[in-house]
Amino acid sequence: MASSALGLFHDPDSALKAAGDLMHAGFARPELLSPIPVHGADEVLGPKKSVIKRFTFFGGIFGALAGFSLAAGTAVLYLHPTGGRPIITIPPFLIITYEMTILFGILATVLGFLISARLPAIRERLYVPEVAVDKFAVTVVCDTQDNFGRAEAILCAAGAEEVRNLNEDGS
Amino acid sequence: MNIMERFISSWQKYRKPGYYEDFDYAWTMSIDLDRCTGCSACVTACQAENNIPIVGEKELAKGREMHWIRIERYWEGEYPNAKLKFIPMLCQQCDAAPCETVCPVSATYHNQDGLNTQVYNRCIGTRSCAVYCPYEVRYFNYNSHHWDSPLDQQLNPDVSVREKGVMEKCTFCIQRVRQAKDHAKDDGRRRVQEGDIQPACVQTCPSEALVFGDRKDSNSKVAKSLADPRAYHVLDELNTLPSVVYLKKVDSDG
Amino acid sequence: MGNEERQMQFADVNDDVVRSLTETGRSYYIALATAIFVMLACFFFPWFYQLYYGIGAAGMNHPTVWGTYLASFVFWIGLSHSGTLLSCVLHITNSEWRKAMYRSAEAMTLFSLMVAATMVMVHVGRPWFIHWALPYPNQMELWPNFRSPLMFDVMAITTYVTGSLIFIYMGSIPDFAAVRDRTTGWRHHLYVLLSLGWRGTDTEWHRLGWAYTFLAVLIIPLAVSVHSIVSWDFAMSLVPGLHQTIFAPYFVVGAIYSGTAGIVTVMYVLRKYMNFEHFITKLHFDNLGKLLLVLSLIWTYINILELFTGWFSGTSTEYEQLKYKLFGFYAPLYWEMILFCAVAPLLLISKKFRTSFVPMLILSIAINIGMYTERFLIIGATLSRQYLPNAWRVYVPSLVEISILVGSLATFITLFLLFVKIFPSVSIYEVKETMETPKSKKGDTEWQAAH
Repeated sequence: MASSALGLFHDPDSALKAAGDLMHAGFARPELLSPIPVHGADEVLGPKKSVIKRFTFFGGIFGALAGFSLAAGTAVLYLHPTGGRPIITIPPFLIITYEMTILFGILATVLGFLISARLPAIRERLYVPEVAVDKFAVTVVCDTQDNFGRAEAILCAAGAEEVRNLNEDGS
Repeated sequence: MNIMERFISSWQKYRKPGYYEDFDYAWTMSIDLDRCTGCSACVTACQAENNIPIVGEKELAKGREMHWIRIERYWEGEYPNAKLKFIPMLCQQCDAAPCETVCPVSATYHNQDGLNTQVYNRCIGTRSCAVYCPYEVRYFNYNSHHWDSPLDQQLNPDVSVREKGVMEKCTFCIQRVRQAKDHAKDDGRRRVQEGDIQPACVQTCPSEALVFGDRKDSNSKVAKSLADPRAYHVLDELNTLPSVVYLKKVDSDG
Repeated sequence: MGNEERQMQFADVNDDVVRSLTETGRSYYIALATAIFVMLACFFFPWFYQLYYGIGAAGMNHPTVWGTYLASFVFWIGLSHSGTLLSCVLHITNSEWRKAMYRSAEAMTLFSLMVAATMVMVHVGRPWFIHWALPYPNQMELWPNFRSPLMFDVMAITTYVTGSLIFIYMGSIPDFAAVRDRTTGWRHHLYVLLSLGWRGTDTEWHRLGWAYTFLAVLIIPLAVSVHSIVSWDFAMSLVPGLHQTIFAPYFVVGAIYSGTAGIVTVMYVLRKYMNFEHFITKLHFDNLGKLLLVLSLIWTYINILELFTGWFSGTSTEYEQLKYKLFGFYAPLYWEMILFCAVAPLLLISKKFRTSFVPMLILSIAINIGMYTERFLIIGATLSRQYLPNAWRVYVPSLVEISILVGSLATFITLFLLFVKIFPSVSIYEVKETMETPKSKKGDTEWQAAH
């Protein structure tokens, strides 16, 4: 059964070095768990594409259309002349459009975040509580015992305080 | 391109300011300040016709007056040269009414007769229409009212009784306008003629200072009032296009 | 700085915050009970009385149909501006000093908005029909009137509440994960749900960073538009003194001003009663003080502009409004407002003043009192004197109104007290980012020998 090697580090630089060494040694892309965002992760582990901006953009477009349709559509559905103004008045309806653009942009951004970060996590995933406090962890999937040995060596060489052998679900 | 033409004509219709191509009737009231004696008979008549609540002494002392038409009184000069001027002020039924735009629930709108209508059961009482009205002719029901017996027996069945939290104002006795239009229809689809309809205040004014009619009818008295050199609108500079025209009182000293 | 920094480790941050959540002293319970009691006695009880007797229970009368309820509404919306808006602006500009206090500031925003919404319900004449202002399909086939400035308000505030809630939640996900590991019982279950299974992987941090930045970029124009729209409730009327284009910037500046003063007050309370002395330091008060000074100067400038346009306009109504505000019935309130909001903040020029905690607290409360007076004058004093002199009447708030105002403050305090025990009120990961990141121990031979 596939297991993971998890190395705990005191500081982010060692963790990054370990991750880089693991990648050079031919392991699958390691994951870096940390209590704060680590700078320099992109250079070592490879750049990440962000799909969230597309969500925001299309959410905003949808919101603009929805906002203007709401205001102008409901004005036309029940004709209600007020104040010597036309039925479809542009300045007030532009304000409604603006607000809905931002509302749907915000909601779409949240949706994009949840989808691209794969949250909420329904099943158990690999995790140790120390990474929420002050330790930085590097985990890598090892399919054989040999690989685990190699991974352990690389992690210790980079300065790991502790190396654990965990199953897929973190036990 | 039937759909395209329909879309374009709809768009032009919905972009026309005020929406109406032409009013059915353009009800107008003319008030001749030369004839007005300040007797307040119009105020009493309005109270009787429209079930205006009686707010009571305590509430009136707090400033919560309730009358749809009021006689504004201004003193000029000092004794012994003091002059008294009064002007009846009621809802001007503005064609470009500032109060209509601001109601969030569409409880007030402009109808086909050029009247500014108030829908009591839709009003949620935000009171923004009263703020936006420059003439201050909108009145709010701060409390529920009751009429002491036997006044409760003289309520007009054609007019609703408003509950607390609702805004009300002069409607040009829209119940009488509706009745006149119904009679005209029964009589064979003719138009409402001059003299068929008079709101309560117009009917009661002893000096005939108040005159009511349709300004689309060029022979009506109000149409002639509009052409009078003494004619003016209150707060004209605000461009509210009121339907009430005042005829300035001509004094010996101008 | 050196000694304190070395003592403060990452683990201490977690400890402090978890302790603030789980350990509760008696003074907290007393404060909470008092706040709830005042809320019930001063807000809900008079409100139910007013629901029964009508708006007549308040002091409003014929031309002054708007009173303290709407002034409170504008005040609470203004107070809400600082938290989220300031937090977003400081995030975009990568400022360090924001990190310790923005969580509580954003919470302040959220609760101010909730209290403002209740003030709307108190204000309308028939609140049981207030749902008609929302666009929903119904059997009457009626929709709200979107041409109305009040409807812009409804849409803007709904968007702002949603945005603020989402913003504070997104920023807290890693913190929920941190406290989930150390708590038990109902708290643990709650935080498991709220943290969404956050692990802290580099992918997750990357996505969160982008999403958070996008949200901040979206919320800044939103916050500016919300208070502009609230100002247009007044500026789109024809009332002399309200019908001015300066109102949108005036209100936005006033909102950020009163909100920043609110943040100073909240920061003082948090620092003193939640033992957050490490996190909220003189630096924060210094920077907030500088911000307050700038905003006070801009606010003063806009007020001078109003005076000038009133005098320069030459129209009798504008000039009359100006004279009435300065020398009429409400003149004491006007001069009190000028004293608290334009003159007193000049004390902030001195750095010694800015870095002393209790004087800053007193000044921030004074500024908020002055700003409330400003909103009251905008509504009460201008409606007292409009175009037709026959309809001039003075407005004095009634006991019910004053009680509801006090009660709304108690509601805000109740919500905030509940917040500090359920949400981590200081952002754990952001505070760690301001501290020194641990350095590699490879050079340390002792450590090498042990490993």
